[in-house]
Amino acid sequence: MTMTDTTTTGTTTTGTLPRTDVAALARDVVKIYGRGDTAVRALDGATLSIPAGRFTAVMGPSGSGKSTLMHALAGLDTVDEGQVLIGDTDLGRLSERRRTLLRREHVGFVFQSFNLVPTLTAAENIVLPLTLAGRRADQAWIDEIVAMLGLADRLRHRPAELSGGQQQRVAVARALAARPRIVFADEPTGNLDSRAGEAVLGFLRHAAHELGQTIVMVTHDANAAAYADQVAFLADGRVAGELYNPEVPDILARMAGLGAREK
Amino acid sequence: MIAMWHLIVRNTVARRGRLALTLLAVLLGVTFVTGSLVLTDTSQRLLDDQFRTATAGVDLTVRDAAAFDSAMGVEVERDPLPAEVVDRVRAVPGVAAATPVVRGQGLIGVGGKTIVPAGPSLLLSWEPAPVGAFTLRAGRAPAAEGEVVVDAATARRHRIGLGSEVTVRAERTERLRVVGLAGFGSGEGLPETTVALVTRPAAQRLLALGDNASEVAVVAADGADVQRLRSAVSAAIGAEYEVSSSRDVAASSAAAAKTQISYLQVMLFALAAAALLVGAFLIANTFSIVVTQRTRELAVLRAAGATGAQVMRSVLGEALLVGLAASAAGAGLGVACAAGLRDLAGAFGMTLPDGGLVVTPRTLVVAFAVGVGVTVLSALGPARRAASVAPVEAMRRSSADDVPGRAGWGRTVVGAVLTALGAAGLSIVLAGPGSVVVLGEAAVCTVVGLALLGPAVTPALIRLLGRPLGAAGVPGRLARESAARAPRRTSATALALAFGLALISFMTVLGTSIKDSTARSYTEAITADYVVESARNEMLGGLPAHAYHHVSELPQVAVASRLRYGHWKDGQSTEALTAVDPVTLPRVTSLHMVAGRLDAVANGGIVLAANVAKERNLKIGDTLAMTFSRTGVQRLPVVGLLRDRDAQALSTGYVISLDTFERNYREHVDASVFVKVAGGVSGADAKRAIERALADAPAAQVRDQAAAVAGRNAMIDQVLGLVTALLMLTVLIALMGITNTLALSIIERTRELGLLRAVGMTGAQMRWMIRGEAVLVAALAIVAGVGLGVAFAAGTVTALGRTTEATLTLPVGQLLLVVAVAAVAGLLAGLLPARRAARLDVLTAIATS
Repeated sequence: MTMTDTTTTGTTTTGTLPRTDVAALARDVVKIYGRGDTAVRALDGATLSIPAGRFTAVMGPSGSGKSTLMHALAGLDTVDEGQVLIGDTDLGRLSERRRTLLRREHVGFVFQSFNLVPTLTAAENIVLPLTLAGRRADQAWIDEIVAMLGLADRLRHRPAELSGGQQQRVAVARALAARPRIVFADEPTGNLDSRAGEAVLGFLRHAAHELGQTIVMVTHDANAAAYADQVAFLADGRVAGELYNPEVPDILARMAGLGAREK
Repeated sequence: MIAMWHLIVRNTVARRGRLALTLLAVLLGVTFVTGSLVLTDTSQRLLDDQFRTATAGVDLTVRDAAAFDSAMGVEVERDPLPAEVVDRVRAVPGVAAATPVVRGQGLIGVGGKTIVPAGPSLLLSWEPAPVGAFTLRAGRAPAAEGEVVVDAATARRHRIGLGSEVTVRAERTERLRVVGLAGFGSGEGLPETTVALVTRPAAQRLLALGDNASEVAVVAADGADVQRLRSAVSAAIGAEYEVSSSRDVAASSAAAAKTQISYLQVMLFALAAAALLVGAFLIANTFSIVVTQRTRELAVLRAAGATGAQVMRSVLGEALLVGLAASAAGAGLGVACAAGLRDLAGAFGMTLPDGGLVVTPRTLVVAFAVGVGVTVLSALGPARRAASVAPVEAMRRSSADDVPGRAGWGRTVVGAVLTALGAAGLSIVLAGPGSVVVLGEAAVCTVVGLALLGPAVTPALIRLLGRPLGAAGVPGRLARESAARAPRRTSATALALAFGLALISFMTVLGTSIKDSTARSYTEAITADYVVESARNEMLGGLPAHAYHHVSELPQVAVASRLRYGHWKDGQSTEALTAVDPVTLPRVTSLHMVAGRLDAVANGGIVLAANVAKERNLKIGDTLAMTFSRTGVQRLPVVGLLRDRDAQALSTGYVISLDTFERNYREHVDASVFVKVAGGVSGADAKRAIERALADAPAAQVRDQAAAVAGRNAMIDQVLGLVTALLMLTVLIALMGITNTLALSIIERTRELGLLRAVGMTGAQMRWMIRGEAVLVAALAIVAGVGLGVAFAAGTVTALGRTTEATLTLPVGQLLLVVAVAAVAGLLAGLLPARRAARLDVLTAIATS
């Protein structure tokens, strides 16, 4: 393992939150799609530090680059300029295979939909990253998160037999199962009704606060973002500001500002 | 409607990648059909031309009368015509010319080596046109006793030039000088044939015919009515002789030669049908997957106002386009492959005439009908499903979690009933009373039943077979589950391959069983130390009679006994019989009579195989009416019944004496001479002595028992080899089916694969997973295919065992080879889709909705 928990970088966070370790860092990241006239700078010098053990939300209007930034931070995609670190590992130096292995070991994912392999049971889906890596699951830990997410009686079911909320909870459990350094959630409640969505968000917040799990969530929903410890706002491929201990009205105001700037 | 058609064309072109393999499958099937048709048409045309050329200048042919012209594709030999018949024919008013023609078999030898062609070795009297069909290409016609003209093809192949010395070996052997080279029609000679043309007296002497002729060629006077002349000639010479129009003679000779091609044609068509059936599975599967993937699009069409019938037509339209494109390409390729097919048949010992290819309009019509028909029919099911897509499905968010292609109840029940019927039929045959017909019906029931039942039983079978895969980790388990999840698709893909493998296993087991049974009954019944046999088909020469005399007179030989074969007619059907020497045969064989005595055939009777007697309801003392070509209907008393397996060792179920044979047949060549070595003489010494004695019978071979058995089984090996080679095409199509299904299923599973990659599945693991799925489908096919093949081969052997000696032999090595080849092929089939899956971009994959 190339990373240690005590690594810090020179980046500082200001505001009302205490200083913490940095779980992941994007520095001056540029990502360009296409070439020539049709080239789009999806990220244009984005810098964002993800504090360890916190729940961070990333918001921004469509096309602001929030998903691209998340993919870059998660090692799903490469960047054209700048640096992306998970812990002290520079993703830019890794081969595709090494990035896959790093994801398997250190990153968890929750997507908006289609999170689960339909042929595997809930229990099998939860330990999938571990089994793919040939690692043994820490059963006590799995039991703990399964209990926390209220999935104990759903473990033998296949995804098709679960409700949308249950499916997302299984996805959260899977993301947590390998005790990753960082969990990325991409609009995890986008397809859920509000009650199921609130439950999932509650679990994510709980995981950060009680279990010390670093969580990054991309969303466009201010109500969802309000569950986070901090919100980073993106516009035009740059981080346009951050908000700590956010409340819904503040978030909406900042978003409105971004929208205005867009025009 | 025009807009709809426009959409169909656009769709088909846009999806060409997905439809490419379907197209290829249809294409291969059509290629097979076209190639077979072109090949057989060409062969038949060439034979027609050949025989028409041979008689082109002659109006009537006078021959000795025969009860039938040919049997099993071989023309019968007739008695020669006395010289005075020629004079009588010549005297008939309206006859412009009557020419005696002498024809027979004569091997050409050059430089001490005898040329043994695969076909006939003709020895003919040289007749100038219009009677003779050969034309000089070089030199001059034979004018004197010691001169010969050889066909130009043989001359070129064996470097025979004008002035060369050759030997011609018929009833007598003579050294002749080549004075000319001849061609036949537009060709240099006849396919697989050597031709020696000599003066009429030389031909008569070489063939020991005295002043007799083989036939008389009659040219009618200008203005004479040929039909009337025919009656007049017939009246002048009597019913003992047969007067036929030369065109009829040519047609009948051509028909005889074509019989052999028709066997090949039936076989080729059966194999083409198998290839098309496998292709049909593949087509149905592809269309069904494409329709599933397009559900949303179809629903949008429906929501936009397209009727169900329009949607159905749009899918069928795609099938039509694919079928047309594939048929056009397949027809073209088939014509190109016909020559290759001829070479392949030649490589396995089936010689067909060489010449320009004949492509008839019928061939093209059949090619398109088959190609388009199979494609459209196979797409019918998926098209109907497409028509039933409801407009609301356009609004559904995702069908990703839907379980595709579960088995329907009705289908499963019908499938189970048919499979059970098939299994029952097979059991009845295995248990005893059933016939090959029952077996055929059982086979059809089973195949159709399994095709229907497949989706219902596939998941369980896949999970069972996939146990080892599952144990090997998550990718293995996912491979197994993904195969089990789409049972309809998996079972169709596997069944296509299973069908090809079943045919191969069936042929292999059946062929091996028959070969083994032949070997067993032969080695048990024949106790001779050596067998002298001709390297050529006995119908084309066999052993000259003097071979037997030379061998039997050797001091190293205790006893020699010879065997002849002949054809006879029983109503319309042709049967074969064996002629033996009842005195010497018991000393070289160990035959068991069920009733009566073998030596009783000496008095003109016949011994029947026990099952033949049973089938014909004959017992000792009854008579059997047999039609011989030379003597017409003869009633032979049944004098004995021979154990079936011993009859099989003698090759036929009808045994007569050589004397009886002599009376009823003109043919006088031996098929085999069984030799028992004298006491105190070593086998090697005896063999050397026999070989020396056979120096003037170049086609004769001295074989021990193993070689004799191998010689008998060579034909089975040839057919087996050719059929297996052609069945590999079916397997190839089925493998393309696996590749196609997997490639399409990968498109369908893009999001799932993306998710797996996101949560840490490596490219290597993903390749492993897809290949695992391919091998699993192949494994299912292997189990079903080899199982079916062996089971029905066992049934066939049992059914055959009732009339001939046949016991089941499992060629374990060969079957394992089939299994290994299929498994490796399955792995190969998965390579491409696996690579494609591993190369999926994770981001695009998870972004795909």
